[in-house]
Amino acid sequence: MLRGYLFTVLGIAIGVAGLVALGAMSERIVRFIDGGDRFVLGQISVAGRGMGMGTGFTAGGLLPAATIRAISEVPGVQGVQAQIMLPLDPSTSQFMTLTQELILGMDLSVPMPNRHYRSLPVRSGRFLQEGDRRVAVVGASFATSRGLSVGSHIKLEDEDYEVVGVLDRMLTAPDRFVMVSIADARAQWVAKDRLLRTVLASGGMALTASDLNTGAAVGWRDGDDPDAVALRIRERVPGVNVQLPSELSRLLRSSTAFFSALLAGIGALAFVIGGLSLANTMAAAVFERIRDFGVKRALGATDLQLGREVLAESLAVTLVGGLAGIGLARVLGWFIDRYLAQAQQLFHFSPRLLAGALVFSILLGAAAAAYATARVVSLSPAEAIRRGA
Amino acid sequence: MLRAAGLMKSYRAPSGTAIRVLAGVDLTVKGGEIVVVTGPSGSGKSTLLNVLGLLEDGDRGDIWFEDARVSALGRAAKSHARGRYVGFLFQSFLLLPSLTALENVLLAARYVRRSGAAIRRRAMELMQEVGVADRMDHFPAQLSGGEQQRVAFCRAVLNDPPLLLADEPTGNLDDANGAVILDALRGRARAGAAVVVVSHRPEAAVGASAVYRLRGGVLETS
Repeated sequence: MLRGYLFTVLGIAIGVAGLVALGAMSERIVRFIDGGDRFVLGQISVAGRGMGMGTGFTAGGLLPAATIRAISEVPGVQGVQAQIMLPLDPSTSQFMTLTQELILGMDLSVPMPNRHYRSLPVRSGRFLQEGDRRVAVVGASFATSRGLSVGSHIKLEDEDYEVVGVLDRMLTAPDRFVMVSIADARAQWVAKDRLLRTVLASGGMALTASDLNTGAAVGWRDGDDPDAVALRIRERVPGVNVQLPSELSRLLRSSTAFFSALLAGIGALAFVIGGLSLANTMAAAVFERIRDFGVKRALGATDLQLGREVLAESLAVTLVGGLAGIGLARVLGWFIDRYLAQAQQLFHFSPRLLAGALVFSILLGAAAAAYATARVVSLSPAEAIRRGA
Repeated sequence: MLRAAGLMKSYRAPSGTAIRVLAGVDLTVKGGEIVVVTGPSGSGKSTLLNVLGLLEDGDRGDIWFEDARVSALGRAAKSHARGRYVGFLFQSFLLLPSLTALENVLLAARYVRRSGAAIRRRAMELMQEVGVADRMDHFPAQLSGGEQQRVAFCRAVLNDPPLLLADEPTGNLDDANGAVILDALRGRARAGAAVVVVSHRPEAAVGASAVYRLRGGVLETS
């Protein structure tokens, strides 16, 4: 049935590949934003107030152990996990970029308070356990970019760490994380930050290791309103920056509004470019066979028979072209992710995208073929043969 | 088998003026007869054949296949009538390039809802008769002009139509291949079909029941 449609299939495949590839980039951005939103809505994020020394990614002040204890005593709070977030490479060229690689130190004596991430999905190996030292769990992109797997070793501030786990790809920030115990993170922080080392050595501040935290993830009791609990922390614990989950979510959404607009544009572009290419290819394929239709009508084919025939052929052609296009887009995405994007995932081929692209292709292909067929069968068989000659 | 009365057909030129091609053609062809229509290029021979075969509508006049006034039928019924009554042979063969020779022949059966081993056997017999059985799996582009026309002939006669319309069937063939096709058409007439041939070739008139010349939109006895 598909004989003679090779170039049509190729044309459709290219159109669908464009649609799917652009759609996959759009899906990737959606997942990134949704993932971040889900994360911030699952916990109350607290940092020390001010622009203190060595405050890493959070850009807040230190959050000493006494403050963490005070937070845990606020009514409604259930679980406070001290954390340290540091840029792996603190050079300005990478700092605060979307693709920044981070070290996350976590106090493993406290269960993860984030309601949406009670644990992080581990693809191989295991997650960190209380008492772990000099071991790391790495995000999927981080592992791929460095060829790491369970049992590999990495150097962090000249210290050797064994990789004990690799996370599943989450399509959000943890894909670029290196997770270690908070004790190890504190050691790295001190090693990275000359000012902090100087202050500690001078004895000018009464600091212990447990005071070296850049923030804390705070959970709330069942039935409590997280925003109300956050406000309570803000009122009762001095010297902290408390983010209301809903406020942070709004902030995240507004700060990613540009990306949302971008992805809407990408989506529209994908539909227009891919759709036009596909419809044009399919209609051209039908018009190209105008003489064949004339011959078939001379042999006794009715409009209905021809219409059914063309519809069946166009469905088959767009199905094959659509599947080929999806395959092409996936190969293209894999190649770019693997070789050009330094193992970051730029494309997300979600099932809804692939199914949507296929259904869209088939419907558009059938509609274009039906339009072209209607034009062709409106001609007399003799005219169709003449025009196709 | 075929009767046409008062057929008229005009085309509109780009300048807007009407060009009358058929100006009241009357024609009767009985089963077993071969009628040859000659005339200069542009005289309307192909148009006459197209109108007779219901490939396009005339402006006026009537056409009967056997006792059925087919010129008055609707689009779908005309398609059925073409499939049932008429076999066409064209100067440029008009084989479908994406189908093999055998598939091209079998295409004639598809639209009259005939299928299965019997019709396939019949197609192969016909191809055997005209000497293209060994080319049945070849595509048209892999066949010579003579072979393509023989395949087209098999397609035209697969359903044993009582009327065969041939438009310059030897126009693109050498003498030897042209003779094969003309012999095959005479064979169909002997088998009872009514055959109308439009041709420039004098040899097409050999054995014809009648030869007409189309001049000024009407048929004149040649």
